[in-house]
Amino acid sequence: MKHIKKRVCKIIDELITYFFVIGATNIDINLQEKEDHYKILLRGNYTTKDKSKIEKLVKYLKCDKQEEMEEYYWELAGESDVDTELTLVGMMTDNAEINISEDMIEVVLYRYK
Amino acid sequence: MELQKSLSLKRKKDNDIKFVIIALYVFSLILFGFLMDTPQEIFKGIYNILIEKDILITDYIGIGGMGAAFVNSGVLTLMFIYILYKLKINFNGATIASLFLIAGFALFGKNLINVWPIVIGVYLYSKVQKEKFSKYIYIALYGTALAPFVTQMMFSTTASFLIRLLLSLLVGISIGFVLPPLSSYLVRVHQGFNLYNIGFTAGMIGTLFVSVFKSYGFAPDPRLVWTTGNNGVLSVYLYIIFLSMIAVGFYMNNRSFKNVKDITTYSGRLVSDFVMLEGFNPTLINMGINGILATSYVLLVNGDLNGPTIGGIFTVVGFGAFGKHPKNILPIFLGVFLGSLTKMWAINDPAILLAALFGTALAPIAGEFGWRYGVVAAFVHSSVVLNVGVLHGGLNLYNNGFAAGIVAAILVPIIEAFREDEV
Repeated sequence: MKHIKKRVCKIIDELITYFFVIGATNIDINLQEKEDHYKILLRGNYTTKDKSKIEKLVKYLKCDKQEEMEEYYWELAGESDVDTELTLVGMMTDNAEINISEDMIEVVLYRYK
Repeated sequence: MELQKSLSLKRKKDNDIKFVIIALYVFSLILFGFLMDTPQEIFKGIYNILIEKDILITDYIGIGGMGAAFVNSGVLTLMFIYILYKLKINFNGATIASLFLIAGFALFGKNLINVWPIVIGVYLYSKVQKEKFSKYIYIALYGTALAPFVTQMMFSTTASFLIRLLLSLLVGISIGFVLPPLSSYLVRVHQGFNLYNIGFTAGMIGTLFVSVFKSYGFAPDPRLVWTTGNNGVLSVYLYIIFLSMIAVGFYMNNRSFKNVKDITTYSGRLVSDFVMLEGFNPTLINMGINGILATSYVLLVNGDLNGPTIGGIFTVVGFGAFGKHPKNILPIFLGVFLGSLTKMWAINDPAILLAALFGTALAPIAGEFGWRYGVVAAFVHSSVVLNVGVLHGGLNLYNNGFAAGIVAAILVPIIEAFREDEV
């Protein structure tokens, strides 16, 4: 058993934690399983004035996909509410799109099977 | 905005540069070894290292001599660098940490033979799972913590050579085979606040194996091979290495310390990969600073520089790319030091020196919750580590990682329960 779907749950869990950190009160989640990949979409508002928290999202999700890191550490994603594991989310996904507007952030992640 | 994540040609070149720089530092171990002893002494010393049990604490400088210990360390680490390169691993902080861990422990427990059954066990697991071995490479590298089981089976019974060989292979491969699922599962227990996760996993596995061994009347005997009197030559070598890290990092970082301070803003909790987050050059500087601090700590408390303590120093340096920086390791040193003022041991006792160096596994507690909690964690850790070795009979080289896992698993939920800020 490789916990393939549980890993997708963990990615979403981690992102929800992040949205809470930036003060989101309205979060939409859409998860689609396609033939060869999962598409994860999270959209939420944010209230934080701390721009560095938003910049960190981009920086962390930019991390290359690294299966060797995922295999060892994937269980940590979504586990802590005092710290985020967004670099791990970056390592667990193949592509990422981020759209940031004045009061809304949309994150679309692609994870190939 | 679409984020570019594919490994471009430039990144491939950067990857190669990192491999070469770390390989050169590893090669310096071999060079230093050959400066210390003659080739004949080195080969004889390596033979002695290979035929000895490796139970904690076995200082290879005491078994094979200074030259043999360093050549063993350098050659073994270069072999793993070659494997990582062939597997096209993205060279990041975890890679550096795992390689320095190999280099450090190859001075007191890992040798050119005893690590391979563990690696083969992990390889077989990947084949059974129909996955690439590269996915499990870090588990294989870190998992060599249990290499003493292999030599223990080989050299501590009176059975025939063939039986001993088969037993040692069986035990080593079995351990490697169960490591991958356990290591990823148990990381949740301490929530990444213990940087030596495999140490915790290996402690659990070791406890189980040794319990079975003891039921058959096979109990590992503790030992202490600990060399003294080499502080002069070893400190010169270490300071040269660490100062050169700062110099090379500074030069490659456009002759600046840019981003070095930013490293200290991270808690260090797993996964804090400084190479990915802040770049290789500032990370190299951070590693050098960590090395100078750790070496100076040993000298300041009048401790001995030898295989085990250099192993501890190399671990602090390696994890300087993956979670440790001056701000989160100094509270750990302070906590162990304060413990020495009230407890029944001296600050420079072998086990306590190692507790301070390897206890920096708990650095993320200081990084996340503040230095005071780091001091408390280290204060507790220095007692726990003296008490858990008996569970795995000293056959888990990362005994401090085992103890740190227990300390983090107990302290972190308590600290969080009384923390006022909420996400």
